[in-house]
Amino acid sequence: MFIGIDIGGTFTDGVLIAGREVLKSVKVPTQEFLSYSIEDALKEILLDVDPHKIEQVTLSTTLITNLIMQDQTPQTGMLLLPGPGANPEQLNFACEYKILSGAIDYRGRLIKTVNLNEVKEACDYFAEQQIQHIVVACKFSQRNPALEKEICQFVQKNYPEFKVITSHEVSGLLNWVRRANGACYTLATREACHEFREKINKTLTKFNLNCPLFILKADGGTLPIEISLQYPLETIFSGPAASALGALACNEEQTTAVVIDIGGTTTDLALLLDGKPLLAENGATIKSYPLPVRSLAVSSLELGGDTSLIIKEGKIGFAPRQGSALCIGGPVLTITDVLVYCGYSEIASPDLIKGQVEAMAEELKITPPQLTKLVLEMFIGQLETKLETIFRIWEEEPAYRIWQVLSAEKERPEKLICLGGPAGGIGRYWAEKNNWQVIIPKYSAVANAIGAALAKPTLKIEFFADTERRIYSTNIGALQGTLLQPLRYIDDAKKFFSMIFQATAKERHLAKDADIETLYEEGFNVVRDGQTKGRIFQIGLQTVPGIRTFLQEGE
Amino acid sequence: MSKTGLIFFPAFDWAITPTHPEREERLLYTRDQIFEEGILDNKSIIEYSPRLADLKDIQRVHFCVPNITAQTTSAHFISAGSALKLGDALMTGEIKNGFSLVRPPGHHAMRVVHGNRGFCNINNEAILVEYLRSKYKIRKIAIVDTDVHHGDGTQDIFYHDPDVLFISMHQDGRTLYPGTGFIEEAGGPGAYLRNINIPLPPHTTDEGFLKVWREIVKPLLDNFAPELIINSAGQDNHFTDPLANMQVSCQGYAQLTAELKPDLAVLEGGYAIETALPYVNLGILLALAGKDYTRVIEPQYEQAEQKQSVQVNRYIDKLISYWHDKFRQRPPEKEELFMKKVLYQHSRSIYYDTDNIREQQQEYVYFCPDCPGIYQVISQSDRTIGKNFGIKGISIPIYACPICEEKGKEMWEREKRDRAYDLCFLQDKKNDHYLVDHIGK
Repeated sequence: MFIGIDIGGTFTDGVLIAGREVLKSVKVPTQEFLSYSIEDALKEILLDVDPHKIEQVTLSTTLITNLIMQDQTPQTGMLLLPGPGANPEQLNFACEYKILSGAIDYRGRLIKTVNLNEVKEACDYFAEQQIQHIVVACKFSQRNPALEKEICQFVQKNYPEFKVITSHEVSGLLNWVRRANGACYTLATREACHEFREKINKTLTKFNLNCPLFILKADGGTLPIEISLQYPLETIFSGPAASALGALACNEEQTTAVVIDIGGTTTDLALLLDGKPLLAENGATIKSYPLPVRSLAVSSLELGGDTSLIIKEGKIGFAPRQGSALCIGGPVLTITDVLVYCGYSEIASPDLIKGQVEAMAEELKITPPQLTKLVLEMFIGQLETKLETIFRIWEEEPAYRIWQVLSAEKERPEKLICLGGPAGGIGRYWAEKNNWQVIIPKYSAVANAIGAALAKPTLKIEFFADTERRIYSTNIGALQGTLLQPLRYIDDAKKFFSMIFQATAKERHLAKDADIETLYEEGFNVVRDGQTKGRIFQIGLQTVPGIRTFLQEGE
Repeated sequence: MSKTGLIFFPAFDWAITPTHPEREERLLYTRDQIFEEGILDNKSIIEYSPRLADLKDIQRVHFCVPNITAQTTSAHFISAGSALKLGDALMTGEIKNGFSLVRPPGHHAMRVVHGNRGFCNINNEAILVEYLRSKYKIRKIAIVDTDVHHGDGTQDIFYHDPDVLFISMHQDGRTLYPGTGFIEEAGGPGAYLRNINIPLPPHTTDEGFLKVWREIVKPLLDNFAPELIINSAGQDNHFTDPLANMQVSCQGYAQLTAELKPDLAVLEGGYAIETALPYVNLGILLALAGKDYTRVIEPQYEQAEQKQSVQVNRYIDKLISYWHDKFRQRPPEKEELFMKKVLYQHSRSIYYDTDNIREQQQEYVYFCPDCPGIYQVISQSDRTIGKNFGIKGISIPIYACPICEEKGKEMWEREKRDRAYDLCFLQDKKNDHYLVDHIGK
C-alpha cells in the first residue's frame, strides 16, 4: 500500500492506495509546522491499518518553496567568475555578488587564473556585512571545477566561520546563473531540510512506519528523502506536478489533455501529453530568479473560487479573496457563488445568495443572467489567455536536431481535466462554450495526494564527454570528472555513461526494470587543421516519467 | 514589445561530410557559450522553435535543377523556415528584431541551382525577402552582408530588383572565394546602384570595418530608407578564421550590429568554430537585445592585429571616396543603362566549388519603363559526373506592371514546350504562382 500526502497552503490531503484503488482519503487543515499536518493526516489514514503493509510514503511539500518565498533563509553572498561574456548586472542573480577574475572556457580550458587578493577582499566585505553563506560560481565549472575548488578551499581555510558552496556541486546544467542561484538556495535551505527530515523521521517512527520516504519533485518524479537533503531545491513547486499526475492517474495511460486545478485563490494549468506532463524547457523560476531545477510547465492565474466580485466605476470586476464563498458563510459574493447560482455547482442552494446576486445585477443595471455570464466570461477569458501561454510553451519548444523538428507534430488537445472545488463548475461551462471533452475525476478533491502516492522516481542525466580534453560532465551536481579510458566510439561512450546512470539510478531507488528513454545520442568530430583531434559525445537518458498505476474508476 | 527573437538551430545531426567545415561540430561551442551565459532566461530574449519552409517559399526564389528535392535536405528547409518564422514574429509585432542562428548557410546560392556552391544550396535571406514581400506586401528591403565572402548568391538573385538594396562588405575577391564582389558590379540596368560591393583588403581590422559601415553603408541605408533591414551575419571576418585573412574581432561585429540595428540577422559563414563563433554569436545576440556586449572579449584578442596598417587605411579611404563620388553623381537614366535597347543580355560562367559543376548562363531582362521587367535565364551545366541539364526560366517580378505580367505569361505559354531544354520554369512572383515543365530531350 502507498501513502501520498500533499501539503497545500490551506489543506493537507492524504490518500492510502492499494493496487488500483483509493482506500482512504483525508483532508486536514495545514498547520504552521508542517510535520504536525503530516501527523494529523497519518493519524487518520493509518486508523485500522497495519503500518507494516505500507510500502512507501511520498510527500509533496511546500517547505522549501515557502522558506524562499517568505525570505526565511540566511543571507548569502556570491563570488562570481564570469570570464568573457554578458554583463552580470544584466543577469538574474539571486543575491549580492562580487566579480572576481579567473575564467574557464567552454571546453574546460583555463583562460585566466584566480587572484586570491580579490577573493580575500570580497570575503572581508561579506564578513563586514555579516554575510556568512558564500556561493562560488564560475562559468563552465561543470567542464572544469578547478577555480571554484581553489576559491572554496581558500575561503574555508581563511574564513572558518563561513559556509561555502560551489555551483558545480549543486548542478552541472549549462547555465551558470541557474547554477549560482541553485547553489545560493541550496546553501540557504539545507539546514531547514535536515531539521525537517529529523522531525519527519520521528513522526514516522511514532506511527511504526519504517518504509522508505520519498519527496515529490517539481518534475513529477520522486526522490528518496536522503538524496533530497543534497538537492533540496528539487522539491520546490511540486504541487502542480502532484495535481497533473493525479489527473493522469484518474484517466487512461496515453492521456493528452489540459489539467486545470482551481484553488481558492489561484488556478494552475498544466499539459499532459501522451501520459507525460509537459516540462518547462529551461526549468523553474522562483521570485523571478531562474533555478537549475526541472519543473512542469505551469501557467498560473491569480484567480480562484474564492476570488471576490466587486463593482468598480460601474463595472463588474475581480478582487482578492476576502474569505470563503458567500453561500457557505463567507463575507462577499465570489466566483463560486456565481457557479452555484447558475447551477454549475451544487455545494449550496442557490437560494442562499439569490438576493445578493440580484442586488448586484440591479446596481449594474443588468439582469442576473447577464451578470453571471459576464463574470464567467471574464474568468474563462483569463483562463484562455493562460491556456494560450502553455500551448505556446509546448509549440515553441526549441529543437536542435533535424529529427526533432520533423517529429514535432503538435495538435492542441480539446480535453480538459478539472481538479479542485470550483473546477467542475467552470469545466461544465467550458464544455458548453467550447465543445471540449471535460473530465471531472471522482477524486478531484485529493488528486494531488494521489499524484504524490503514485509518482515514480525519475532520473534524467545529460552526459557530455570531450575525449581530447579527457573530461566528462553531466547536468547533475558534482557528477563530473576525468576520463580515464579513451572513448573512441559512441558505443564506448554509451557504455561508460550507462554505468554512471545505473549507479545514480540505484542511489535514487529507481526500479531495476524502469523504462529508460534515450533523448539523444551524438558524437562530434573535433577537427582542427583537417585532422580529427578527438570526439565530443552527448547523450541524454531519462526514465520515462509518469505514474505507477492507473486508478480503477476514471470518473 | 521590445523582445529579440532567437531561433537556434545548430543541426547537430547534419554535415556536408564528417570533416567538412559545415559539420555537426560547427555551433557546438556557440551552444555552450550562449546557454552557459544564462541570457536566454532574460525576458528580453525569446526563443522560438524552428520550422520547415514550404516548397513554394523556395520556388519563389530558385530554379532548382532538376528539382528542389535533389538540391536540398531537411536541414535546408529548417534553416530557411527558421528565418521565415522570425519574419512572421517580426511582422506581427511579437519581436522587435530577431536572430536566425542556424545552419546550413545560403548566401552563395544563386537563382539557378545546379548544386552546392560555397557550402550553400538555397539562399535563406532571399527566401526570407520574397516571403515577406509576398505575404506582407513590403516593398523596400535592404540586405547587408557582413560575411567575409562576397554574397554572390544574394547579389545574383536581386541584381535586377530595384526594391532590394544589397550591400556586401567582404574580403577582396582577388584574394578570396568566390572571386567576385567588385565595385563595378553595381546592379543591373533596371536596378543600378541597388547592388553595392565593398571589397576590403586583407588584414582590415575593426577600425576599417566600422569606418566602411559608418561612411558607406550607413549613408546608403539612410538614403534608401528601407522598410526592413536584413543582415547576412557571417562571422568569418574574424581574425582567427581559418578560411580568410581579416582582423575583425567580436567587438567589431557586435558594435556593427548595435549600429546597423538589423530587423533580422541570419547566420552565414564563420568557421573559427572555437575561437570566434561562441563569442561573435553571443556578441551579436547581446547587441540585438540591447544588452551590454563590451565584455565579450575573446581570449585570443591580444593576438589580433588591433592596429590597421597604413596601406589598409589608405585603400579603405580610397574605397570610401570612390563611393562618395558615385553617390554625388546623378545616376544615368534607366533607358541609357539599357543602352536604349529593349533587351539587356548578359552571358557568364558560374563555378560550383563544392560539387565541381560549371554552369553557363545567359540572362535577359526586358526593358519596361514602369516596372523591373521580365527576367529570363537560360542555363546549362556541364558537369563531368552525373547528368547535365539545360533549363530555361522566366521570372515575372512581384511588382511587375500589368503589361509585363501578361507578356511573361504569354512567353511561358509560348516557350514552355521548347525542346531545346530539359526543364522550363515559370516564376510568377506577382501571382505567387510557380510552374515547371519537364520536357526532356
